[in-house]
Amino acid sequence: MGFKLSTLPDRQNIWPWLLLAPLAIYLALFFLVPLVEVGIMSVTEPPPGLANYERVLTGSLYRKVFLNTFGTALLVTVCCLLVGYPLAYLMSTVSKRAAMAILLLITMSFWTSFLVRTYAWMVLLGNNGPVIWLMQTLGIQDPPPLLFTRFSSTLAMVHILAPYMIMNIYTVMQKIDPSLIRSAESMGAYGRSLFRHVYLPLTAPGIANGSVLVFVICLGFYVTPVLLGSPREQMAAGLIGNQIEQFLAFGLGSAMAIVLLVVTLIILGLYHRRFGLDKLYG
Amino acid sequence: MNTFIRWIGIAVVAFIAAPLLIVVPMSFSTAASLQFPPPGWGWQYYQAYFSDPSWLRPTWNSVFIAAMNTLLTMALVVPATFALVRHKFWGKSAANLMMMMPMAVPHIVMAIGYYSYFGELKLVHSKLGVILAHTCLSVPITFLVLSANLKGFDRTLERAARSLGATPRQVFLHITLPILRPGLLISALFAFIQSFDETVVAIFISGRNAETLPRKMFDSIREEADPVIAVISTLLFAIVFAGLIAPSVIKLIRRMTAKTAQQR
Amino acid sequence: MTINNKKKTSLIRPNRRLFLQGTAALAGASALAAPSIGRAQSKELYINSWGGPWLEAATENLFTPFTEATGIEIRTVSPVSFAKLAAQVRTGVYEFDVTTLGGGDIVAANNAGLLEPIEESYPGGLFQNGVGSHAFATMMAWRTDAGWDETPQSWADFWDVERFPGGRSLQRYPARVLPLALLADGVAPEDLYPLDIDRAFAKLDEIKEHVRVWWTGGAQSTQILRDGEVDMIGIWHGRYFEAEDAGAPVDFTWNQAELDNAYWVVAKETPNMEAAKMFVEFATSAEPLAGFVSQANYGALNPAADAFVPDAAKPRMPTAPGNVEQTFGQDMLNWGGDPQEVAMRFDEWLAS
Repeated sequence: MGFKLSTLPDRQNIWPWLLLAPLAIYLALFFLVPLVEVGIMSVTEPPPGLANYERVLTGSLYRKVFLNTFGTALLVTVCCLLVGYPLAYLMSTVSKRAAMAILLLITMSFWTSFLVRTYAWMVLLGNNGPVIWLMQTLGIQDPPPLLFTRFSSTLAMVHILAPYMIMNIYTVMQKIDPSLIRSAESMGAYGRSLFRHVYLPLTAPGIANGSVLVFVICLGFYVTPVLLGSPREQMAAGLIGNQIEQFLAFGLGSAMAIVLLVVTLIILGLYHRRFGLDKLYG
Repeated sequence: MNTFIRWIGIAVVAFIAAPLLIVVPMSFSTAASLQFPPPGWGWQYYQAYFSDPSWLRPTWNSVFIAAMNTLLTMALVVPATFALVRHKFWGKSAANLMMMMPMAVPHIVMAIGYYSYFGELKLVHSKLGVILAHTCLSVPITFLVLSANLKGFDRTLERAARSLGATPRQVFLHITLPILRPGLLISALFAFIQSFDETVVAIFISGRNAETLPRKMFDSIREEADPVIAVISTLLFAIVFAGLIAPSVIKLIRRMTAKTAQQR
Repeated sequence: MTINNKKKTSLIRPNRRLFLQGTAALAGASALAAPSIGRAQSKELYINSWGGPWLEAATENLFTPFTEATGIEIRTVSPVSFAKLAAQVRTGVYEFDVTTLGGGDIVAANNAGLLEPIEESYPGGLFQNGVGSHAFATMMAWRTDAGWDETPQSWADFWDVERFPGGRSLQRYPARVLPLALLADGVAPEDLYPLDIDRAFAKLDEIKEHVRVWWTGGAQSTQILRDGEVDMIGIWHGRYFEAEDAGAPVDFTWNQAELDNAYWVVAKETPNMEAAKMFVEFATSAEPLAGFVSQANYGALNPAADAFVPDAAKPRMPTAPGNVEQTFGQDMLNWGGDPQEVAMRFDEWLAS
């Protein structure tokens, strides 16, 4: 009897570990090891040492590309916010059926492969595409080139990432008690001041969630900038890919990758301490 | 202020819808290039897609890899999620963080790692390599969806069954699993799509034997904006559309059949 | 270059590899994991394809006849990439067995030990372990609807955005682009080599902001010219004729077109070595080669092929009399720098 009692807590302690073990071993072998390998390559190829990091952190090209990556990520985040906030607001004010229809559209966009969406922007913005065609029909003689510019890649990234922002903001907006707004109105808060002192603080968590998510995804974006962007405005992921694919410069590419990773982790780490990471993708 | 925001909202709806809708007419175009409005209409690129092994093989590869990835991911994640949601133990928050890590690392970083690591293991250019890599990347989203479901699980049902004399095994098979089935299906769907859509790692490691559809599309867009991509885009879009509409259609049919049943 | 240190020094690696391969085999998945083992004796040959008109002509005149003669199936993989060739040797997993390299890459590839030694299949046909196949040109082409009063004549005009405003495109490939920049800067074709690389980059600075696309694939160059994404382009001649035949309002000049030779090469230590060498010999023999170049408008490098080339095919061949005099060739052995280093500098220049 005494034996049984003493094994019970042990059994309970070992269960979660048994359940977790396969996944933990798997992630260690197929996630951590390759990740560590990137770190090892960054200091061993070609010469052992920190030469790759020196080049990445001090070379003017790399600094420019990283700055451009940050700038683009910031721009995309702000645009997503400008696009997403009004839409989330619209969804929370219109009838339930209309809100569902918009939600369906956003979900559809979210589930549609981002390669499909990137290609669609190529069609839309191409020289023979509908946008240029519309401009010409409206009498604009010399429409500016749209494709393969900073504009086209930014626009497509905003489109691809906006659903993350909208969903996050809409979730918090839905939870706002309408009576709260009414009581604020009854106390004389209207228009801008109602928005700034009541609505904005209440939706702030959604904004923070959406912005961090969009910013972080954008930092590591590879496909869209490579396919749609201007060759002079490369982003970090594209340059890393090129180092590997064109030059087999595994060391240099790895060093850039580690810098990108560290920056991403710092941002997510700050967020995690404040809100908890599992809330981010909820 | 309100009407202003409303108009912006409507413009945003158009902005989000336009790219999804444009690929449909483009797929029926007869033009060899990205021309709008199309000079003529036809099925030729659908025929091209369904008769060209260089498109069908990657499609099949992607389905196979995504399916295997889903099985493997579920086999690993389901027990782990039970451990994390239902048990308290030392190191739990670290384990939680571990589950989320693959989501925090940019895919290009993992792509380099796999390219080099799987190269040593002779796993590049093989389906197994892509499946193993995709499984890591599918863990976080699957875990999130499943744990949200499991957290909302009402455990009084299990306790009731236990008090009525059911063994833990019986409880699990006859109570827990059936109730959890929708959650399991949805998280499996997320795992499937995560793999089916994944592009960056596949570009680097899939090679000639395991070429996935996104990789083929990426190469094709980069090389020449082949109109067949519009066909694939339309098909993928149609699948998503059908998948999202299906539940409400089923609900509608059920409601109608229920009504006719009542009338009888 | 890191190609040669294939065996990296690490103590944990062999054990880890064995362990993992064991696990994979235990999982019953070894069949999936071993693409090269099961294929070693297979009757399949993987060839790196340039796509488009190249692929059409090669399939009809080289691949199909070869399969008929030998029973070896040919499968193609694209795009053509020097880096892939190097990566194969590094990883030991082969994506293709045979590829064609231009003059710019073959010297670097051979120096890096990426090419299997090969026999000369016709007299004078061997260069750097590759067998000469055909000549192709990078030439200047433009949209006739660009609204210019004059017709561009030379690479100097390509650089002249005042007289010929509009978007430009060039290949993302410095070995071909740097000589064009020097010609535009007034260097005579006979004085090009060795290249003055700094001067070429300085000249490229002038046009950088006007180059909207640095194309990386042949089909892409056709598409942007055909769809009018750019007004002037440095393009392979075969790809230009593709756009012209599609009815696009375009024109071109043979003047200062840059001739480049394509060589068949076999990837070092590929498991399909025998079939690969057989194919190279077949593809450079007179009749198949003649059919191939006649259809795709290339210039055959095996002189024996000339007898089988119909006169009707000649006006579009860069090596035909009347055209070849206006072109200039490459001198890769006296190029003026390490092409890989220049490629890296070029890439950094692009992004900066």
